[in-house]
Amino acid sequence: MSGNTWTTKTILSDGHKRTIRHVSWSKCGQYLASASFDGTTAIWSKASGEFECNATLEGHENEVKSCSWSSSGSLLATCSRDKSVWIWEVTGDDDFECAAVLSAHTQDVKRVIWHPTKEVLASCSYDNSIKMYAENALDNDWECTATLGGHSSTVWAIDFDAEGNRLVSVSDDCSMKVWRAYAPGNPEGIATPDNETVWKCVCTVAGEHSRTIYDVSWCKLTGLIATACGDDAIRLFKEDEETTTKNEPVFVLATAQDKAHMQDVNKVSWNPVVQHQLVSCSDDGTIKIWKFVE
Amino acid sequence: MSRFSGALQLTDLDDFITPSQECIKPVQIEKTKTKTGAKISIQEDGYYEETAAGKQKLQKVEITLQDCLACSGCITSAEGVLITQQSQDEVTKVLKENQELKASENTISQAKVIVFTVSQQPIVSLAQRYGLSVEKAAEHFSGYLRHLGADYVLTTKVADDLALLECRNEFIERFRDNAPDKPFPMLSSSCPGWVCYAEKTHGNFILPYIATTRSPQQIMGVLAKQLLGQKLNTPPEKIYHITIMPCYDKKLEASRSDFFNEVLNCKDVDCVITSIEIEQMLDDKTLDSFPCAPYDWPWGDAISAGDNSSHVWAHGLSTSGGYAEFIFQQAAKELFNTELETLEFKTLRNPDFREVSLEVDGKSVLKFAIANGFRNIQNLVQKLKRGKVQYHFVEVMACPSGCINGGAQIRPPTGQHIRDLTIQLEKLYRELPQSQPENVTTKTIYNNFFDGAHSDKSKVLLHTSYHAVEKMNTALNIKW
Repeated sequence: MSGNTWTTKTILSDGHKRTIRHVSWSKCGQYLASASFDGTTAIWSKASGEFECNATLEGHENEVKSCSWSSSGSLLATCSRDKSVWIWEVTGDDDFECAAVLSAHTQDVKRVIWHPTKEVLASCSYDNSIKMYAENALDNDWECTATLGGHSSTVWAIDFDAEGNRLVSVSDDCSMKVWRAYAPGNPEGIATPDNETVWKCVCTVAGEHSRTIYDVSWCKLTGLIATACGDDAIRLFKEDEETTTKNEPVFVLATAQDKAHMQDVNKVSWNPVVQHQLVSCSDDGTIKIWKFVE
Repeated sequence: MSRFSGALQLTDLDDFITPSQECIKPVQIEKTKTKTGAKISIQEDGYYEETAAGKQKLQKVEITLQDCLACSGCITSAEGVLITQQSQDEVTKVLKENQELKASENTISQAKVIVFTVSQQPIVSLAQRYGLSVEKAAEHFSGYLRHLGADYVLTTKVADDLALLECRNEFIERFRDNAPDKPFPMLSSSCPGWVCYAEKTHGNFILPYIATTRSPQQIMGVLAKQLLGQKLNTPPEKIYHITIMPCYDKKLEASRSDFFNEVLNCKDVDCVITSIEIEQMLDDKTLDSFPCAPYDWPWGDAISAGDNSSHVWAHGLSTSGGYAEFIFQQAAKELFNTELETLEFKTLRNPDFREVSLEVDGKSVLKFAIANGFRNIQNLVQKLKRGKVQYHFVEVMACPSGCINGGAQIRPPTGQHIRDLTIQLEKLYRELPQSQPENVTTKTIYNNFFDGAHSDKSKVLLHTSYHAVEKMNTALNIKW
């Protein structure tokens, strides 16, 4: 970026044979993972100065829908139409080993995302549910530790808040839900069977979106939630400071940008370091960068 | 919950297909030429009728398990098909009809000889479930099968032994020949979940690595239909052979066309019933409410003492047939003149990935591994593709912890984690007496039935082949 203009720095090509569905930066910024409909996930590394594809992860049966790096950068999660979620461990420079294949969902898995600090993974699916996973120390095997049910249609996207105590989800049922984690021994006295953290839906925002919500991004700097919707609009939600409580938070619409794009908005993402800066992309073929002015 | 192994649940599936809805199977219709062309009308019940030359009911398309196996599509549909074709209902029906045939003198000649073959892992599962010792569970279970109408109740022991011997021979031959079309590592072939996954997803790349030795279930199929048939002077099609197995994938294996004998016009194994289905069939009755009964041992007069002293035998410690252990020991002896009493397996990234190696003069000359569960299969296959595998042999099983944790073993009671149940089952398995595959019975069967080891007959009847399945790639299937 120079001034207010953005120019193409590099085009990464020849990594995939079909549509690229999702990309994910590692926290250190040295690696980019790309998930493709060709069933593979490509790892692009900047180690040599230029980005190069230095590993291709094969294993999914068909379209890979999403990928996500853990906060430490030592784990990568991918998910696919084959209903499975895979966890890959970085074992060497260009070496990845499959650490787990999780078949908890009964349908196409749309998105995976890691907890901002812990090695806890969340996924959401066409089966209307959200699942949480953690590694069991007894046998080094990953297992599903929680299922979050409540949406009545496909859950397209999820995102954690800055601390990772809450999760936001958006769905084809046109609603947005906020979930809260209750760890064993929580002061609220919420039961935690099998000594596992329980996630409860603490807030549902319905009636604001007129079509499928495809994406959500929870800003780690400001706490603002942005949604990408099939009605071509981008909406921002903020927690209402006057009425919100820990166990019953209230989120209100801060602003709605109608006709943000000419067609469906597919993705929104907050800038992790620049406050109030948001990027979006759409079926209309454009990418837009937004600045939120309060 | 699916009872297939994890590998199979993943094998290219389309979430939205159920049999007869979206499955496509062309039917051949014998057509006579007409000038106007035929009109086909669809009736309310879904039947098609050709209406040109009077009404004629057209053949209804049925999707069989064979079609599912030959298709690169979903495996989930196959489960639906399996449920009808190889179910406890089917067994109950066959047994009931047979009892009726036997009851009347006019029809007794049409009755079939009902043969059950029981593998070890389901007995261990039943013993744990009903709180019995493994031996007692085996005897009560034999009593239960006889109560159902079994004429012969066998165990897989003889086939387990033969599979190990044959797989050892295959390995040593491959090691000595070192031919490019038979690469290393040789991968074990007894797990149908793994074989089906390999055929469907890695096709021609992976198949040359896989041993061609048949699994114990399919060797037992040959023995029950042909050897036992000979001894009883009964044609194979008059024998109905049911196996009791720890996983659903075994049903797929029994349904493979490779195990349909064209000459004899019958399947080697007619039906496969799993541990969990036995639990359902027993319903609210306990296993020990059926009196103890022995097992049949029709494999010749020359039973060495000890062969039939126990009903349930372990093969090594892997709970999946002991391929890696047995072949490693035998190869060390045969190829490197080294006698090994016990093997020290080294656990790698997780307990389901272990390796053992033999060093001669500080150099590793023989290296084997056991890889259980889908994640380890995955890493093995990916390493193989990158040419980074150093092993000579890998025992590959689709289920974590191997066959003792088969997908259709009886589920743990509420509150118990599957991992804890598996530990208990493994303990029971490890207390079993160890089988010695080189014994009088296997020797007799090799000599008298297979015309000796390495004979043409043994190559045909103790081995099988694999077929890569082409992937269907249609852009129409894209779902965002």
